[in-house]
Amino acid sequence: MQPTPEDELPEAATRRLTGGAWSSGLSVADFASCLDMGMQPVGYVQGYAVMQWSWYMATGGFGMGMGRGFGTMGGGWAGTPQRRGQYVEQWQCPHGFVSAEHRMYGANYELTWLEESWATGWGLAIERMIDEAKELGATGVVGVVDTMRPLVGGSTEEFRASGTAVVVPDAPHLATPFSTYLSGQRLAKLIEAGFAPVSVVATMSAVRMLGYCITHYQLAGSTVGTWYGSGAGGVSGVGPVDQVNRAEAAARSLAREHVRAQLGSDILHGATLQRAEREIGEGDLSIQCTLKGTRVRRFKDFDPLPDAAPVVRLT
Amino acid sequence: MTLRDQVRQAVTAVASPTTAKGHTGSARGTTSDLTIDETLLLHSAGWEPVDLVYGISWWSIPWGVWQWATGEVQEASAAFTGAAEHAAKQLRQACEQAGGSGVLGVEVGVRVSSHHVSIELTGTAVRRIDAESHRFEFVSDLSARDFVLLTRAGWWPLGLATGASFVVAPRRTAREWASQQGQNIELPNLTQALYLARERAMERMQRSGATMKADGIVAVKLREGRASSSVRVIQFVAIGTGVHLRTAAHRPIAPEMVVPLDEVVRAFDVKSLRSAGGE
Repeated sequence: MQPTPEDELPEAATRRLTGGAWSSGLSVADFASCLDMGMQPVGYVQGYAVMQWSWYMATGGFGMGMGRGFGTMGGGWAGTPQRRGQYVEQWQCPHGFVSAEHRMYGANYELTWLEESWATGWGLAIERMIDEAKELGATGVVGVVDTMRPLVGGSTEEFRASGTAVVVPDAPHLATPFSTYLSGQRLAKLIEAGFAPVSVVATMSAVRMLGYCITHYQLAGSTVGTWYGSGAGGVSGVGPVDQVNRAEAAARSLAREHVRAQLGSDILHGATLQRAEREIGEGDLSIQCTLKGTRVRRFKDFDPLPDAAPVVRLT
Repeated sequence: MTLRDQVRQAVTAVASPTTAKGHTGSARGTTSDLTIDETLLLHSAGWEPVDLVYGISWWSIPWGVWQWATGEVQEASAAFTGAAEHAAKQLRQACEQAGGSGVLGVEVGVRVSSHHVSIELTGTAVRRIDAESHRFEFVSDLSARDFVLLTRAGWWPLGLATGASFVVAPRRTAREWASQQGQNIELPNLTQALYLARERAMERMQRSGATMKADGIVAVKLREGRASSSVRVIQFVAIGTGVHLRTAAHRPIAPEMVVPLDEVVRAFDVKSLRSAGGE
């Protein structure tokens, strides 16, 4: 999908932003705090993107067949674009031939197509919100709220972003207004602590785990071949589920590294990490981690603060 | 400098594509899930965030343990212990890799299903500002505020102390059931099974505290509820932070008493950290 050019804001948006009273999504206290800081709210800005959506790449008609064999992992599966540094790990059955249904191979791999569609949807919503702010000649957007929710039909998701555009008089013009999840007093403290808000950043990482026999047995609670020991493929009850643990760890480190790639030498402040898991079939999982926060840049050194004095409030 | 001047200075910094100043001279950008209040408070105590770190572990539980047992399900407790230790070890390794001395504000996620237990730990690695070396010291689920108060009193966190117990509530015999009909009486088999399980979870947590040479465990959180799909299976999980006294004796904090005169609903003015008003 092509990013929407600046002149393609909905015509009602252009009308709304150029006429009428200004609007703000801030609470009254945050609104007053922003005025105190010299940030004048100029408009409630919003951006949306509705995406055709599948968490499983099942609607594309290709599916994620096991038939091609994992030896051709580099050759690629339908719907899995290849990217340098993409996370892929393979497991092989230690038992030899058991039956036609035995899971001879297992793999963990990064769902780059899912990550990319999420980045597209989120990016479009944020970009359109920023476009509205630009239309208003704003310096920044504060109090950003972003959500993702399924729309009707089950295979569409809407990415939504909104915030309040503010103008800082006498400040240099920013080609792209800054944006932050913070507003009001917390934003004031951030700036006083020496951090300038640069932009909201977010990423979604997704890892698919196709369990091999051992993982499958473990997740089903099966006990197999205890007499020949775990070294030879025995599964005896209580123990770490290595393949899942690797997938979980990969999902988190991918999320952190993807965000870090957007940070440069700046700092991710107030991060939130959300994890979701989808069980696709027995022994098959898809794990997603969403990491969000405000990218901030240090513009002055921390002035040493005095030790905070403990107090007891008598109310 | 007034707050408004600082806001303009901040916008200027965003306009210029220069790199960071101050304590963040590392090539890798810092990531942190701390709030600005926590960041400021930690800084006033001489600490700074380094990186978001995590540890997660799934341990398997064999089939049949919930169905056929009565009393404690040893396999589930063992899986919990294994997963907790494994996740804590990963968190420590991640902290050391990031160059941190400790992990604060660890969020603990525990999930129990029929065939596995998973424990998820997420927190922010922190280190002393301007310290030459960053030896690993602690993992804690305490907030930055609690950490500052605790250390000021001379106590230091060591690690997460955890313990769990899973119990299948025993059934009465048919004879007992029949003889107890229509009466409001104690069901000793249930009382005892649950009582024992609670004590076991706490005992395991205290033992895990002793293993890390903690004097005590603070901010203990007890969770209990159904585990797995059966209503008769109940889980007890105890989690806290093991602490030890680093000074010769506990140091009193001696808080000052204040009477706030402001009314929150009317507090519209943004407050400066250093002077009233900021203008």
